[in-house]
Amino acid sequence: MILNIIKLGWKNIWRNPTRSGVVIVAVLLGTWAGIFSAGFMNGMMQDSLNNQIQLSIGHVQITDPKFDDLYNPKYAIENPDEIIQSLKQKPYVKQVSAKSMVTGLAQSTRNSYGVSVYGIDTQKDTSLAVKQYLIEGDFLEGVSRNPVVIGMKLAERLDVKLRSRMVLNFQDVEGEITGGAFRVAGIFDSFSNQYDETNVFVLQEDLNRLIGNPEAIQNIRIDTDDLSKADVYAAELRQEFPNVEIKTWREVSPDLRYIFDMMDLSLYMVMVIIIIGLIFSIINTMLMAVLERTRELGMLRAIGMNKARTFSLIMLETFFLTMAATPAGLLISWITIQYFAKTGIDLSAFAEGMSEYGLSTIVYPELTLDYYLNITIMVAVAALVSAIYPAYRTLKLNPVQAIRKFN
Amino acid sequence: MSVIATKNLSKIYNPDKVPVQALKGVDLNIERGEFTAIVGPSGSGKTTLLNIIGGLDHPTEGKAFIQQTDLSTLSDKELIKFRLNHIGFVFQAYNLIPVLTAIENVSFVMQMQGRPTEECREKSLALLEEVGLKDKVDKRPSELSGGQQQRVAVARALASKPDFVLADEPTANLDSVSTAELLDMMLELNERENMTFVFSTHDQRVIDRARRVITLVDGQIDSDEER
Repeated sequence: MILNIIKLGWKNIWRNPTRSGVVIVAVLLGTWAGIFSAGFMNGMMQDSLNNQIQLSIGHVQITDPKFDDLYNPKYAIENPDEIIQSLKQKPYVKQVSAKSMVTGLAQSTRNSYGVSVYGIDTQKDTSLAVKQYLIEGDFLEGVSRNPVVIGMKLAERLDVKLRSRMVLNFQDVEGEITGGAFRVAGIFDSFSNQYDETNVFVLQEDLNRLIGNPEAIQNIRIDTDDLSKADVYAAELRQEFPNVEIKTWREVSPDLRYIFDMMDLSLYMVMVIIIIGLIFSIINTMLMAVLERTRELGMLRAIGMNKARTFSLIMLETFFLTMAATPAGLLISWITIQYFAKTGIDLSAFAEGMSEYGLSTIVYPELTLDYYLNITIMVAVAALVSAIYPAYRTLKLNPVQAIRKFN
Repeated sequence: MSVIATKNLSKIYNPDKVPVQALKGVDLNIERGEFTAIVGPSGSGKTTLLNIIGGLDHPTEGKAFIQQTDLSTLSDKELIKFRLNHIGFVFQAYNLIPVLTAIENVSFVMQMQGRPTEECREKSLALLEEVGLKDKVDKRPSELSGGQQQRVAVARALASKPDFVLADEPTANLDSVSTAELLDMMLELNERENMTFVFSTHDQRVIDRARRVITLVDGQIDSDEER
C-alpha cells in the first residue's frame, strides 16, 4: 500500500501545476542562491585566509617549547638542521623556512615602535611570501651592511624612507639588551597594516651575531600540500620530534581559526535563512492543497483510509514537492560554481576596500561536496518540517463534516 | 439475519448549546439483498441515519449493528477498518480521486485492504466491466461523464466486497438517462449478487424503483413500505 500512497502523493503534486511550479521554482532558486552565495563567500574567505596564512604563519610552526612564553632568543631550536633535513624528506612538505627571531623595538630619530624581528637566510629561504609585496628597494640587498626590510606602515610611523637608518633593540641570549643600526633596503606594503607595522626582516647572520648565537633558529615554518591536513601532519611531526613545540596555524593564530570556523557556520546560516523562508512558502502551499481537498480527504477517510495513511500521503506530497526541485537546484549551483571557479568573478571595482582584508580582486567560488550533501539533508528536513502542520490538519478531519452528508 | 439493525437510535447535535434532535428512537432492520430507499424532507434525519449506520458518526443514544457487530463497541481505528471491509460508499458528488484512472480508483480500496496487486487489477477490471465501463478503465474522472463517474464510484464501493452499499442521493447530479442506467445497473447487481443497497434520496425516479421505502419525518420513521 505504501507504494500506492507514494504514487498517489507524486501524482497529487502535479494536480495544480502552476501552484506546484511556483514552489518548485522557489526551492530551485533558493537552493541555487544559498549554495552559490555560500560558494562565493567561501571562495572569498578561503582566499583571504590563504593569503594571511601564506604571508604570516604558514601551516605548521616549530619552536622551542619555552620560546613562545616570552620570545626569549636563548630558547632556540636544538639541532635545527637535523629537523629541517628530515622535514624536506616528507612528501607533504612543500616549503620549509627557518628563521631566527626576537621581539624588540624599532627606533628612528622621530619615533619608536614594538616589532618582531626575523633573521632571514636569503640563500636558503628564497620564496618568502612577503617578497611579493615589496614596493621599494630590494629584499635585504643593495645595502652593504645591516640591511633591513620594513613595512610601509612602520616606515610612515618611524618617518623613514629607503636607505634611511634606523635602530633595532632587543634582548640577546644572555638576557641583556642589545641592538644595532640598520639601513632600510626595502619597503613592503601587504594587505595587512598590522603586519606591515609589526614585522621587520634582517639578515640572519646580522641578527644572530647581535643576539650572540650564530646558529640560532627560533622558528621553523612549514608549508604543506594541504592546509586542511595541518592537524594530521602536526600530529605526525610531534611523534617524530617530541622535544620541540609544534603548532598548527590554528594554534598559532586563534583569530584566524575563529574566522575559519565562523566562516563555515556563516555559510550554513545563509542557507538556514533561505530555508526558513521556503518552509513558510511550502506550508502555505500545502495548507491550501489540504484545505482545498477537504472533501476528497474526508472521502478517503470515510471509505477506510486510516489516519496514518492520510498523514503519510500529505507528508509525502510535501516531501516530493520540495525535493522535486532540489536536484536541479544542486546541479545548477554546481555548474555555476564550477564555471566561476575557472573564470573567477572580477571585483576590481571594490579592490581598495577588499585589499584591506587580504582579499583578491578576483574571487573564485569554491565549495566542497560535503556542503552539497548537507544542503540536501537540510532541504529534506525542511520539507518534512513544512509537511507536519498540513499533515496534522488531516488528522483533525472529521469525515462526516469533510464530506458533508456524505458529499 | 439483518445486515443492518438499529435499536432506539437517537442523535442530538449541539447538546450543550442549541440542541437539535436529528433522530428520535429509530428502530430499523434491513435484511441481506434489500434495495431500500430512505426518504423524507430536508432535516428529517436521512443523512444522520446513514452516517451512523455507515460508522461515520456516533448516536447519542441507542445502538447500530452491522452483521450483529455493535458499532459503539469499536474504537475509531477499528471503525475505519470496519468501514473499509464491510461498507461500500457512494457519494452524491462521486468523489473519485481525480489524479487516478477509473481502474486505479477502484483498485485503491482493495489495495488499502492489502490485497495483491494482480488480484486488485483483475477484480477492478471485472467490476468496471460489470458497470459497463470496460472501455473506460484508463480514463481519469475528468474524462468521464457524471453518470460514468458514478458507475466508477459504484464499482469502487463494491470492490471491498462489502456487506452492503450506502448511497447518499446518488442520482442527485445525474440526468434522467444516466439515472435510469445507474438504477438498472444497481438493480441488476442487487438481483444477481444479492447485494444490499441503502439509499437516501429525494429523487422520485429512485423511490419508484426501490423495493422498500422508509420515510423519515422529524427524526422518526413515519412509514416503512415494502413493495
